[in-house]
Amino acid sequence: MAIYKFFVLAFRDLWRNRRRTILTLVAVSLGLALVIVMNGYVSGVVDGVLRNSIEFQTGHLQVRSNSYEEEKLSLLSRDLLDNPGPLASKINGMTRVEDASPVLWSSGVLSTILETTGIRVTGIDPNSSIHNPFRNGMVAGEFLTGDDRGGILIGARLAESLGIGVGQKVSLVVASSGERPKEGIFTIRGMFATGIPSYDDNTVLMSLTQAQAVSDTGERASAIVIMLEDQDEAGSVAAALKQPGISTLTWKDLNSVLLESVASGLGFYYLMYGIVILVVAVIIANTLLMAVFERIREMGIFAALGMKNRQVLLLFELEASILAFIGISIGIMLGSAVVLYLAAVGIPVGDIGASAGDLALGTTLYTKFVPGNILYLSAWTFLIILLVSLYPASFASRLEPVKALHAV
Amino acid sequence: MPIIELKEVSKTYKTGEIETRALNRIELIVEDGEFTALVGPSGSGKTTLLQLMGCLDKPDSGEVRLAGRDVTRINANSRADLRRGKIGFIFQFFALVPVLSAYENVELPLLLNNVKSKERKRRVMELLEAVGMTDRTRHRPDQLSGGEQQRVAIARALASQPLIVLADEPTANLDTDNGARAMEIMQNLNRETGTAFIFATHDPRVISYARRVIELVDGMVVDNGVGVGKEMLH
Repeated sequence: MAIYKFFVLAFRDLWRNRRRTILTLVAVSLGLALVIVMNGYVSGVVDGVLRNSIEFQTGHLQVRSNSYEEEKLSLLSRDLLDNPGPLASKINGMTRVEDASPVLWSSGVLSTILETTGIRVTGIDPNSSIHNPFRNGMVAGEFLTGDDRGGILIGARLAESLGIGVGQKVSLVVASSGERPKEGIFTIRGMFATGIPSYDDNTVLMSLTQAQAVSDTGERASAIVIMLEDQDEAGSVAAALKQPGISTLTWKDLNSVLLESVASGLGFYYLMYGIVILVVAVIIANTLLMAVFERIREMGIFAALGMKNRQVLLLFELEASILAFIGISIGIMLGSAVVLYLAAVGIPVGDIGASAGDLALGTTLYTKFVPGNILYLSAWTFLIILLVSLYPASFASRLEPVKALHAV
Repeated sequence: MPIIELKEVSKTYKTGEIETRALNRIELIVEDGEFTALVGPSGSGKTTLLQLMGCLDKPDSGEVRLAGRDVTRINANSRADLRRGKIGFIFQFFALVPVLSAYENVELPLLLNNVKSKERKRRVMELLEAVGMTDRTRHRPDQLSGGEQQRVAIARALASQPLIVLADEPTANLDTDNGARAMEIMQNLNRETGTAFIFATHDPRVISYARRVIELVDGMVVDNGVGVGKEMLH
């Protein structure tokens, strides 16, 4: 018998109990929509945190001295890059490189009349496009200039907590390569708001020359931060930059803790997806099982007409497929609409990023629409529904004709 | 030529710990083209006998032959193949598929037998005409009266040109007029197509249509064909 005839029979059978079918479809679509939104949320958060880290901190690549460890913020000459300018220029000349710029990191303490707080000092080349994320996040005052001596930029949240503003002077004690830290009075040239509490609360920017002078590091830098036109080229560019005495780290190396956390966290989310999908599949299987019990005598009629067991199985699997297809289609539309909306509007989460440690978590989280993931989840949902539906389908196919015909 | 042969056929049903002997060493032959009534009180084994003849069930002992072939111990799929191609069924409760129209119900056995579209259409319309249902082809069972449904069921039973049609109390749910009409249709089709009909009944008006009457009592054949059915009425 042509399969499309079975399909017609299966489709019509579904609407014999319209209410039950509609409720089942609602369950399927909401279940998948939930999974899609969860996936969009996780993808968006991970993508956002990684993007923030790359844009504001690590770049796509970093060139460092072999012995440099960022956690320690060492200013010892052996740990720094000596005269990084020519190397940065050379890297800038490479075809796949968007920009490369030396930076100097150190720790410090910012003091006002009222309060003192620990901060991270970053010496930057203000003319480099690598620091555009900070430039674009300026909310007051002006960005630094290349030869600025005495000016700093601080986060707007930090400024607000310290009760200071643009034009005011603050005391800044900065670690140095010498035995003792050095203190200086700096003027707040401007304030930035990146939307990432871990940066806005803890970061002070000054010109690289200023940072080098304050920390007695001469013409050295902690690293050359590199942004590429395509982050997938990081590996090959890193290989091209290999030379003795320096390390070249890709964004994956520089964000390894984050990526490992994501990998282990994803396992939990996959489990959640699996549970939701399984619940959806069981709902469909239950719907079919109820249909089987209602139609036992009809199974006897089919048997009397000579329909084989596998054809009865096919009939119920087709019913499951139709339910799955319609439910999944609605679920995809619903879930995608929510993800796209939240990708544009975002989910305000306030200061959660402040307690996220080094994670570059913003005050607004955005979902990410990943069609490939949606198709993947939908395909798995469809497959699991078909598998779970084998139970009621095989139950129907194994009914003895005589017993089925005499069922009430 | 014998269409159905039963030799020493017995069947016992077990419900919990209670065993019921439905058929007891039945010996029976049904010839090609017969129009035979199977009569007996409730519980005499009529339905069980029809089920064994129709390969819906297997006997516990004995032998069942269909058109000369031993079908006693064949597997479920083979029995399904036989029912699809060689046996038609008519049930007391009409047994039409509710979501299919009259046309589609009659077409179903032909689809299961992979008959081509053109031939299917010809055959379905031919049968619906024979049972007087050409103006109701698109109606679903819930839009048909009991008599109309049974006529569609009769057409469906003959769709695959079976060797034999087995009808279990075909007029039990019909009024007198519709019951008579159904029997007349079956009688005409029996004459025209040569298909054997066996119908289980305890309705004397139905028995009168039969050319042969087999009487069952307590799972045994007590009369293997009394002759003209009208004699039974008296």
